[in-house]
Amino acid sequence: MRTSRARTVALAAGAYLVAIVFLLPYVEMVITAGRTKSELLDANYFPKHFTFSNFTSLWSADGLGGNIWVSLRVAGGATLLALLVAIPAGYYTARHRFRGRTAFLLVVLATQMFQPAAMLVGLQREFVNFNLPSATVSLIIVNAGFNLAFAIWILNAFFSSIPVELEEAAQVDGLSRIGALVRITLPLAAPGIVTALIFTFITAWNEFLVALTLSLGSPPGDRPLTVAIDGYVGQYSTDWGHLFAGGLVATVPVIILFALIERRVVTGLTAGAVK
Amino acid sequence: MATVTFEKAERRYPGAPTAAVRGIDLTIEDGEFMVLVGPSGCGKSTTLRMLAGLEEVTSGRILIGDRDVTNAPPRDRDIAMVFQSYALYPHMSVFENMEYSLKIAKVSKEERERRVKAAAALLGLADYLDRKPKALSGGQRQRVAMGRAIVREPQVFCMDEPLSNLDAKMRVQTRTDIAKLQADLGATTVYVTHDQVEAMTMGDRVAVMNEGELQQVAAPMELYRRPANLFVAGFIGSPQMNLLPATVTGGSVRLGEYALPLTAPALAKLPRDLTVGLRPEAFQVVPDGGLLLDVVVVEHLGSDSYAHGTVTLGDGTAGEGTLGEGTRNLVVRVPSRQEVAKGDRLRVAVDGGDIHLFDTVTGLRLDV
Ligand SMILES: Nc1ncnc2c1ncn2[C@@H]1O[C@H](COP(=O)(O)OP(=O)(O)OP(=O)(O)O)[C@@H](O)[C@H]1O
Ligand SMILES: [Mg+2]
Repeated sequence: MRTSRARTVALAAGAYLVAIVFLLPYVEMVITAGRTKSELLDANYFPKHFTFSNFTSLWSADGLGGNIWVSLRVAGGATLLALLVAIPAGYYTARHRFRGRTAFLLVVLATQMFQPAAMLVGLQREFVNFNLPSATVSLIIVNAGFNLAFAIWILNAFFSSIPVELEEAAQVDGLSRIGALVRITLPLAAPGIVTALIFTFITAWNEFLVALTLSLGSPPGDRPLTVAIDGYVGQYSTDWGHLFAGGLVATVPVIILFALIERRVVTGLTAGAVK
Repeated sequence: MATVTFEKAERRYPGAPTAAVRGIDLTIEDGEFMVLVGPSGCGKSTTLRMLAGLEEVTSGRILIGDRDVTNAPPRDRDIAMVFQSYALYPHMSVFENMEYSLKIAKVSKEERERRVKAAAALLGLADYLDRKPKALSGGQRQRVAMGRAIVREPQVFCMDEPLSNLDAKMRVQTRTDIAKLQADLGATTVYVTHDQVEAMTMGDRVAVMNEGELQQVAAPMELYRRPANLFVAGFIGSPQMNLLPATVTGGSVRLGEYALPLTAPALAKLPRDLTVGLRPEAFQVVPDGGLLLDVVVVEHLGSDSYAHGTVTLGDGTAGEGTLGEGTRNLVVRVPSRQEVAKGDRLRVAVDGGDIHLFDTVTGLRLDV
């Protein structure tokens, strides 16, 4: 008993230590975001004056408001598009053994193996040539494409774990095929759908490289948040206060979504209890 | 309630060389309990699923009452199905599971509640209505699946091996429960099983299938007493019927030297290759004559014992497996007061029991 107790304490202490190492940059971010300009470079952890001016000025005339809206549209649109494609694809590959099924799934997986950076030039040229209306639309398409593989695979796994008999029982109970899919299978696959949704949203929200490339020609207010925050890093000076405040604002949706994912997935798994 | 008719109903899976169900003709009477039985892979489930509308019918027709449902989706067939895996909706409570079909059919809330409560009372599920299927035992889940079917008050019940996930004792108990329930409801029922004991004890009639074809459709005792062919003879009955090669010589049917007590005027018409079917209980232990049985294993069942052994027929045919020429396995029932042990030699003869004759080539029953 003694030893196991000591073990527990040691483990917990170790875990907290690791957690602190990972949390420190965020703490630093929060603190720096609240520093006044004069105290910015002081070598102390707790500034004497804490200011919210960095946050309030974020929303001023050419502030981050518009960029957040762009990012929301890009991440939301990409998520919607990815799910619209991935749900039918995941469902079909789970339910039907067709010729080339494995090949299809492997090709889907292969798309995940390219470094986005390697495709930058190609993407840029493609979208310029296609003459797409805006960087936002282009980014929605690119981000949806980047995340499709993960979404299809996870949904394939979830649909595979739901017995076909449930759908058949629902059909006997009076639903059409589509009705059975929508009213029985989709709710049971909800944890998978939510996981794919949040994963896609967060990846698209955080995406920087392609966003930077495709929004080069857009006015500053029409660029995604990640690009806008990068703008605080100038060639000669860096606006640390706004950089960190912007970083903090950008983290909030991610944190909220992670809080959601955890709840949804855990309750979903226990309630779903797919046999 | 309604009759069910299969007319040359066939199901061929895409890419399969042969049909899984080959042109079945079968009529099930109104209110009848029909059991489909056969070895694994013979097409029982496929037949049932064709009736339920879950499997496409390649050719032929299926009728419920006089309505052609061959191409109707499941929901338009007015049937209920109990699946082997029960297929209970895991995210719904027992009550919601049972109520679901009524909800879809837009039955009023009071009526739904009344019917579910009645079914739950009938099945002893009243205390579990709020639980999720996950929190139920196998037997309880099975009853929920039954309840879900009952509340529908459908024309036809389809059940695919509903007892196969239960332990042996529960199975026997539930077997009678289902048979009783079916009799009370008077609903036409098609019940699939691979267990011939289940088939014999539950069915009004039993349809024996093999390799996608119907072998015989008859009442249980009829199947037992007059199997239509070698397959049914070997499939129905436990332990199995003894099937032995016989010859027709000197005006009698012989197993080796032993002449069967058959007095038939038509012996001359019998084909040369004959198989005799004798159930273990057809034999008696006799002081002399008959067949000489070398007992290998004795199975004691309480009231009776089964002596498993070998006999040498000296018929020049090779026995199965490792047996020598002309040596055959034989199972004989002996009353338990008769002491029999491994290694004994018994003389056994057919005395008053049924003797079944089959044409070895066609496998068909011969009536003499
Ligand atoms: N979806 C399918 N695709 C191709 N062939 C199939 C399919 N389902 C079943 N079969 C084949 O059809 C035949 C009949 O199958 P079926 O499931 O009806 O057998 P069964 O009598 O119910 O057997 P069991 O007692 O094992 O359940 C089998 O040979 C099987 O391999
Ligand atoms: Mg089956």
